[in-house]
Amino acid sequence: MIITRKALPRRTFLRGIGATVALPLLDAMVPAMTALASTAARPVRRLGYIFIPMGSDINRWTPPGEDSLAELSPILKPLERVKDYVTAVTNMELELAYPGTHATSNSAYLSCAKAKLTESTDYYLGTTVDQIAAKEIGQATQLPSLELGMDLLEIVGQCDDGFACVYQNNLSWSSPTTPLPYEAHPRKVFERLFGEGGSAAERTKTLQKKASMLDRVKSDISRLQRGLGSSDRTKVDQYLDSVREVERRIQIAETGVAENPVPDFERPVGVPAAYADHAKLMFDLQVLALQADITRVITFQLARETSTRSYNEIGISEPHHPLTHHGNDPEKIAKMAKINEYHVSLFAYLLEKLKATPDGDGSLLDHSMYMYGSGMGNPNAHDHTNLPILVAGGGGGKLKGGRHVRYAEPTPLANLHLTLLEKAGVRMDSFADSQGKVEELLSI
Amino acid sequence: MGGLALDLVSAHGVEENSETWEKVVRKLRARQMPPVGSPRPDDATYEAVVSSLEVSLDRAAEAQTNPGRTDTFRRLTRTEYQNAIRDLLALELDLSSVLPRDESSQGFDNITVTGLSPALLESYVSAADKISRLAVGRPVSSLAVDTIKMKPDLTQEFPFDGLPAGTRGGTLFPHTFPLDGEYEVVVRLARDRDEQVAGLRQVHQVEIILDRERVALFDVVPPKHVGDHSAVDDHLKARIPVKAGPHQVGVTFLKKPWGVLETDRKPYHAHFNAYRHPRVQPALHEVTITGPYDAKGPGDTPSRQRIFECQPAGATQQAAEEEDACVRRILTTLMRRAYRRPVTERDFESPLEFYRRGLSDDGFEAGVEMALSSILVSPEFLFRVERDPAGTPPNTAYEISDLELASRLSFFLWSSIPDDELLNDAIQGSLRKPEVLEQHVKRMLKDRRSRTLLTNFASQWLHLRNLESVNPDMRLFPSFDDNLRQAMRRETELLLESTIREDRSVLDLLSSDYTYLNERLAKHYGIPHVYGSWFRRVKLDGDTPRGGLLRHGSILTVTSYNTRTSPVIRGHWVLENLMGVPPPPAPADVPALEDKTIDGSLAVRERLIQHRSNPACSGCHSLMDPLGFSLENYDAVGRWRQAEAEQPIDASGNFPGGARFKGVSGLEKALIDRPDMFVGTLVEKLLTYSLGRVVEHYDAPAVRKIVRDGRPERFRFASLIVGITKSKPFQMRRSL
Repeated sequence: MIITRKALPRRTFLRGIGATVALPLLDAMVPAMTALASTAARPVRRLGYIFIPMGSDINRWTPPGEDSLAELSPILKPLERVKDYVTAVTNMELELAYPGTHATSNSAYLSCAKAKLTESTDYYLGTTVDQIAAKEIGQATQLPSLELGMDLLEIVGQCDDGFACVYQNNLSWSSPTTPLPYEAHPRKVFERLFGEGGSAAERTKTLQKKASMLDRVKSDISRLQRGLGSSDRTKVDQYLDSVREVERRIQIAETGVAENPVPDFERPVGVPAAYADHAKLMFDLQVLALQADITRVITFQLARETSTRSYNEIGISEPHHPLTHHGNDPEKIAKMAKINEYHVSLFAYLLEKLKATPDGDGSLLDHSMYMYGSGMGNPNAHDHTNLPILVAGGGGGKLKGGRHVRYAEPTPLANLHLTLLEKAGVRMDSFADSQGKVEELLSI
Repeated sequence: MGGLALDLVSAHGVEENSETWEKVVRKLRARQMPPVGSPRPDDATYEAVVSSLEVSLDRAAEAQTNPGRTDTFRRLTRTEYQNAIRDLLALELDLSSVLPRDESSQGFDNITVTGLSPALLESYVSAADKISRLAVGRPVSSLAVDTIKMKPDLTQEFPFDGLPAGTRGGTLFPHTFPLDGEYEVVVRLARDRDEQVAGLRQVHQVEIILDRERVALFDVVPPKHVGDHSAVDDHLKARIPVKAGPHQVGVTFLKKPWGVLETDRKPYHAHFNAYRHPRVQPALHEVTITGPYDAKGPGDTPSRQRIFECQPAGATQQAAEEEDACVRRILTTLMRRAYRRPVTERDFESPLEFYRRGLSDDGFEAGVEMALSSILVSPEFLFRVERDPAGTPPNTAYEISDLELASRLSFFLWSSIPDDELLNDAIQGSLRKPEVLEQHVKRMLKDRRSRTLLTNFASQWLHLRNLESVNPDMRLFPSFDDNLRQAMRRETELLLESTIREDRSVLDLLSSDYTYLNERLAKHYGIPHVYGSWFRRVKLDGDTPRGGLLRHGSILTVTSYNTRTSPVIRGHWVLENLMGVPPPPAPADVPALEDKTIDGSLAVRERLIQHRSNPACSGCHSLMDPLGFSLENYDAVGRWRQAEAEQPIDASGNFPGGARFKGVSGLEKALIDRPDMFVGTLVEKLLTYSLGRVVEHYDAPAVRKIVRDGRPERFRFASLIVGITKSKPFQMRRSL
């Protein structure tokens, strides 16, 4: 064997794989004799968070086993083929989301923080766990994190009174005062990942132009700062942080133009009319983004709180939100559970796809951790206790599935966040209202 | 109620406790105090107490002005950005796939706009690059691909408003072509789940129209081999030469000579669903425009006319000097409009640097394009900045500058940048003169740009925006399709527009004796003798259940679930948007509900009665539900009904503890009988929208003054708008 130090960029090979098949990591792609730590052969860890609104029917959700997932519950049935990668964690709680609202179900899911009751611009929450991870493990990639959602239309009057809509719609906050908007349009996501097309020379030129535009923004914004009070100066500092962040992204994109061709994935033109098609496309894009190592941290709101979407495709014509106020009517609960199961089946689609995508010495699923769940427990009562929560993926050898962790007492969801952070390589002593870690998951 | 403990507040301390007392006034006005069941004063006593409190509160406000404080930095919303590009560059674009949507608060999306996330900044940079290229029309090597998809529930059996007579279905849309050249237009037909082109049983003809001219005509023929439709529309593509700039593109079907559809079984107007109400004839699925091929240059577009006030002459000795003068002229005009202020020497530094870079690479026009892109990412364009003047003592009310006032006016009335007339008066310092201000307001209301008061303000105030996401259940409401959805929206917009254009009383919005209908909506309402797809004003007689806003299909639909009406949502909507007393958030002890929940199988009214017997719920539901009940004669898509599930409708409702009424006319009359409440709510909504901040208790005296001053003119629309623009919150700001 001839030892050569010339590594073939893996993304060169993404061309032609389409959306379903991926190319295995060829030997030629591992630079000879270099430390494995800096190559794809020691795969990076990825973290994903998926949010579903308005809790679940916890009776049909909770797996029957004491500590094993050998037998799945009705709602979790779609996970059958990947259950060895999945752990259910039962009796998690978001204490700071009380008094129960839709706004705080969404906002506390990843922050575990109390949302300041305001409809003005002085909203205040907490830095979310994905953003803490992004600051640690996201800095080497073009996008430190990717925020995705499903709702494109502008809706008014459907946020909880007293709370600005930023709480109910944004899962991800990079600081207590900085909600990150999500993207739901598949084409925009694609363009953020792979650029707007054109030849390599054109792309380079566009990126250079953008870099100089940012220079300009930076100097102009700095100029704005003069003569401002301290709170307004803080605002300007946040703007400058954003400028620097985008500069960094453009630099990475620039160095990547030559060796990172756009994958041969049909550039999405519009938004699929069917919900499931749209969701699956958003999952496909996540797989592409992780596979090409454009980002390592993803959040995805699979539907928003108070959504009145009706899932006719599975025979449920009643809208979701009113169904969740079921008044303990068994028929309504059964219908709600069907929706819960449907959402899980979409998650299963992602997991199966990650599993089918080779990555280094295993699959993408082996090297990822996804948390799936809701910030609400029983939606009929708007409570935030006994949340439906799953953890999936191999976490790069740090996580084993097929288990059921069952707490007797309500336990802060922050404990789980802290545990997953640690497994992703982010060490913290505490997070939000955490009281420890999920011991059962610590020892693989 | 709502945590309001009056025993802690001395009735003498109105001045010191204005926040609490404003709440009291509001609750008393809506008769929500004392709680239902307690002894209540008569109406005369209510009015006397309210007005004496108001006098004290207004006097206190007079003594110490608090105009509130707008945020120092407020970025343009997507709507504002889009309009600003239109007015700056004569370029009409749909930026919904370029910029992210805005989050709303207090019902409007222009309040929480102080943030600038990395993703948003990236979008602004991309947008500036795309827009400047399109506006200047510089040749590029790559092709642009745009796809226009039809809504899946668009019925295409009937003529489409705006397309030529003798056609049916299809679409007409504006499209901006970047360069002179050839473009390929590809048409795809709608398929059902079996990949068959729905309704293709005989030969149909499709035509492509460019600015009212037919540019291509095709036959669509059913396949010889039954079942395989994969290639039936492969030939529907044409390469057509197009001049750069905005054009109207249409794709439609020629109407078959016979008028009656082969639809004996299903007498619906909607035809889009394969199983329930299938398409009878083929329909358009999407149109893709790709180009330019063989580009011939930038052409002569409105954008280029707007930008290139001058063109430097050829390569003479003075060329460089001339070029320099010309680019300065161009940039002066652009920056003055984009930044909404006079241009200073400093402003030229950066755009000129960009200009020179483009100039040396690709010539003069490339230079202008570069300079333009740098203007479009300037924070002075992207943000509306209002600063405290140097030396202002803290916490002091001051008058905002004339230029800031000009921007407040134009973003309020047009959701866009000021025009030159407005800027000129601001620069000359005359804008604040009451007669000048009033003349500008009236001029601006007449201008077409004020349509944003419908499409931006009212669509949020009345939740019309939500119509797009409403999908009534297909089995229960088989006649609902996108055609009906758009017709509903149009009716409400046209009623509002006539109120503005004819400067009518805003009370007419509730009691209008006319409305706007086309055939589709008239059929839905059961009103005869309205034919054709175009809208016309229809005078209504007294007992038609149509007219005012509360009788509009649009509003009745957005306040329903997709399977049934919701008196709770409708009641909430009335309280929030017409009465200004939104119910407080759900109480803290909602979890306690679980044990006390009610039998889900009961009828809605019964269920809600049980609901209200729970003290945790009754506080708010006794306010919401009775209002919603009065609208129960309208079903979930706004059709009139006398019965539901063979039970006669009981449309009796009431204000809490007070006026009882029956049906929509009863509710309307109850609202109109207390005009201050409805008009005050509308003024508050307009003020929120115009300032882009939450309206607070200290704004209440200003709202009352606007309502008072509008009364002699019977609350004509313009009188309220003028009142707002002259009010202290609009003209002033409080320093930090």
